[in-house]
Amino acid sequence: MVAIIQKRGLRDFDWLLALLAIGIVCFGTIQIRNAQPTESYWVKQLIGLSIAVVAMLLVAFNDYRKLINIAPAFYVFGLVLLVIVLVPGIGLKINGQRAWIRVPGIGQFQPSEFVKVTTAMMLARYFGKHRSGALTLKEMAAGGLILALPIFLILLEHDVGQVLTYLPILAIVLFLSAIRMRYVVAAVALSVIMLPAAYWVGVKTHLIKNYQQERINVILDPENADRRGFGYNTWQSILTVGEGGLLGADTSAAHSQSSLKFLPEPHTDFIFAVTAGNAGFVGCILVLLAYVVLLSRMIAGAKRAPDRMGMLVIMAVVGGFTCQIFINIGMALGILPVIGVPLPLMSAGLASLIATFIAIGFAISVQLRRFVN
Amino acid sequence: MKFEDSSQNLRSRLWIVQSFVVLLLMLLGVRLYYLQLIRGQYYAEIAQNQRVRLLPIPAPRGNILANDGKTALANSSPIYNVILSREDLRDRKLASLAKPLAEALNVDVDILRDRFEQIGSQPAFESILVKQDVNAGDIAWVESHELEFPELRVEQQPQRRYPANGMLAHVLGYVGEISPEQLKQPSYKDKGLKPGDVIGLSGLEQTYDDYLRGKEGYRKVIVDSRGRIQDEIETVAPQAGQDLVTTIDLDLQMAAEEQLRTSATGRGVLVALNPNNGEILALASAPTFDPNLFSRIGTKEGRAEYVAVLNDPEKPLINRAVQSRYPPGSTWKIPMAVSGLEQGAITLDHSALVCGGGIMVGNKFTRCMGNHGTPDIKAAITHSCDGYFYRLGLKMGLDGIMSMVDEFDLNKRTGIDLPNEVLDLTPSPELKKRTQPENSDWKDIDTVYASFGQVYDIITPIALIRTISAVANGGKLYVPHLLKELRPVGVAGTPDYRPYRAFQPLDSTRPNPKVLPIPEDIHQRVVEGMWGVVNNGGTATSIRMAGFDIAGKTGTAQVVGLGKDVGKNKDHSWFVSYAPAYKPEIAMVALIENSGFGGEHAAPAVRHVYDVFYRKTRNAEPPGAVPVAKSPKPEGSPKKPETIARNQ
Repeated sequence: MVAIIQKRGLRDFDWLLALLAIGIVCFGTIQIRNAQPTESYWVKQLIGLSIAVVAMLLVAFNDYRKLINIAPAFYVFGLVLLVIVLVPGIGLKINGQRAWIRVPGIGQFQPSEFVKVTTAMMLARYFGKHRSGALTLKEMAAGGLILALPIFLILLEHDVGQVLTYLPILAIVLFLSAIRMRYVVAAVALSVIMLPAAYWVGVKTHLIKNYQQERINVILDPENADRRGFGYNTWQSILTVGEGGLLGADTSAAHSQSSLKFLPEPHTDFIFAVTAGNAGFVGCILVLLAYVVLLSRMIAGAKRAPDRMGMLVIMAVVGGFTCQIFINIGMALGILPVIGVPLPLMSAGLASLIATFIAIGFAISVQLRRFVN
Repeated sequence: MKFEDSSQNLRSRLWIVQSFVVLLLMLLGVRLYYLQLIRGQYYAEIAQNQRVRLLPIPAPRGNILANDGKTALANSSPIYNVILSREDLRDRKLASLAKPLAEALNVDVDILRDRFEQIGSQPAFESILVKQDVNAGDIAWVESHELEFPELRVEQQPQRRYPANGMLAHVLGYVGEISPEQLKQPSYKDKGLKPGDVIGLSGLEQTYDDYLRGKEGYRKVIVDSRGRIQDEIETVAPQAGQDLVTTIDLDLQMAAEEQLRTSATGRGVLVALNPNNGEILALASAPTFDPNLFSRIGTKEGRAEYVAVLNDPEKPLINRAVQSRYPPGSTWKIPMAVSGLEQGAITLDHSALVCGGGIMVGNKFTRCMGNHGTPDIKAAITHSCDGYFYRLGLKMGLDGIMSMVDEFDLNKRTGIDLPNEVLDLTPSPELKKRTQPENSDWKDIDTVYASFGQVYDIITPIALIRTISAVANGGKLYVPHLLKELRPVGVAGTPDYRPYRAFQPLDSTRPNPKVLPIPEDIHQRVVEGMWGVVNNGGTATSIRMAGFDIAGKTGTAQVVGLGKDVGKNKDHSWFVSYAPAYKPEIAMVALIENSGFGGEHAAPAVRHVYDVFYRKTRNAEPPGAVPVAKSPKPEGSPKKPETIARNQ
């Protein structure tokens, strides 16, 4: 039996997806090295990659249904990690956010990255049953609650950016679970109207503080915003990206924006700016294409999934990825405010890397079993 | 899809999701296109500029040398400053250093604290000045405390030095930082000058600033986001300014200054020049000032010193040779004689005019100092007969006097290469209208006044000696000047090469010399009169040097009324001259303010300088007894001024 799975596994294994992901990580590692040539982040990233690939294979060669059936256990385990990280002695505080657990030998580990996967599993399990009608309010409330628990704990870490990447996971699961189209249209219409209105009201009532307003201004007009204060990160990122030009900046590595410490967090939050500076427009478009292919490949897998649970787990992952990619790159390109969201597969960070590969493992696992049963 | 349910239209929903994903990433692609391809060049420049810094390296200013081409009159010697390098400061608190440094280097701790506070917001490559112009002891202290204060450095800075006790101060001028007002003027801005640059603010330093000022070099460095220097890309060495060789003869200059210093009032002018080319051999104006004080102007004491000089009623900052005007008195008779003969008011054969002890014009009698009978032109000059020149003036008329002024360029600046030369006042109906509006018509009595160097004739000493030089050499009006040559700098053929340059009039349209058509016989006759002043019973026979014929003319410039005041407002004493009379080598003018008659004060002062010239050129002791000027200042023996012997 095992032999049959193994044989069929090798044939049906989605090599393209796995190799594309590994390829992006390798390219990202080069950029991490460019960003911090004197630090060992890139070595850690390669170690993380090997751990992540093992994790991906473990997930891929296990039946996702078994894993999702015990999703509640993973989910609870994730919540426990989120509680642990809040304990001062264990959780590390970086930039005002207590979001990391110190792991001896490897460095830091960010549970909220990992919990994204367990939450997606939990949502897939809840909404994955065969269904005939539209979503009920009760079901939507339950989905909301599944998401609300980790979000609440992450808010206690003061990690607002991370929370933003959780929301599309639920949104996409609800959307694909036959939520009534009129709810979708209503939600989209409402946000289009309400966001500017809320901002206007907020400014008028001083509920939105000056510094928050500054941050919005930075995005609306980065050139004239406070380039040394609130707008510093965005402005430096724009300069780094712009300097890249068509084929990359002709500045020596030692004199780059990141080496001279003009660009902050170049190996994590602003890895895309570093890439843009080094690889230019051509390199950036290739990276974006790689992401498009990767996501399209996963969506294609979702379409061929043997059951609703498999489809949902892949699409939840796709939603999370897309959101993170857009927020991170949008921030590097100065169209979104600076919030600490890593770029999947490229930013240095163990948890993000492993969680991403586990998610890809699920996608492969679902595809491997499309002909089973 | 096995679980597909038509009511959910899942397939189209997945399609929507996929389109949304592609759309979002395309949006990023469009933004990238804008940032990298449309605006890329612009951002690249900004990014480049924020990491590249040009740190200027000051260029040494050219030296100013005496006419021997060796003795430095002004040079830039390095001084040493103790600075704090913030590059090496790391995390050490600046404030904690103020007290120990203040104690060890003997500077005011509060000044240090202020400076530390101010510098806090500057980028880290800007170092902090702890103490300027330190001595060997301070340097030794810094070196021996290297372990405790690794961030201390001793740094060189070029500093302009001038001779002590104000020698040549008016000629050399001084340098200083360019002022914000000057920076706004195109004449400075267009030269690429920037705040903090040191430029010449007076004297030769100002006139030849463009040549003396070198070209600043720079270090092109890469700095990080905190302004710390990470790397040096390029160093361009500064180019020194051109050395300037003046026409100043140091021996004559020292003698001239000594004569003024020891004169009756200690105020006056003495200029010596070569009448054959206009080169100024000595230019002294007293009282003088110490140009070195302008480098101390940043300190409290220096500032007070400067204010004191500025407010001194004797106006030491004024160069009396070019910035002060005096009535020339009887020295005016020399150009009058030349022009009177040229214009035909008198002739060589019939030049005798009545002295009459004075002249009656209308109901006003203007007297002569003596009674000279009916002198000819030669005797009138020798004995300085006013009565003669009153009548000559009336014969020439205002038009004749005005055409004389024009002939000798007395209505123009001489064009000397010193800044702020003032224009002479010369007789004209306009001048009378301006000065006496209540009685503005030009009358014969005004012509009488204009003909003997008072009231309407007010000229600079440099203009007077230029005129006398032209009479000496037979009619060549040279532009008096202090520049002998600017020495070349750099390698010929390279863009930075600055070639040799001799003196050229600053106003290139002026002929140099302007040739006056003085007939030789007229020239001879006037010279004979001037020769007699010193050698044949004239007004300055006390300075006669047998075998070295001085031709000259005394003068007395009326301050209140001629000879009326004998106290503070006594007349100015003039003596103009040249020698030898028939083969001129040197011309000299002296004016001693408020000292009385020219023959008593100005002529002996000039004689002392002739002695120095004689010793230099003839290698022998000068003939004739050296006269003593009356009532010299009590503080007698002058100190020999120290010059800067260094020559780099």
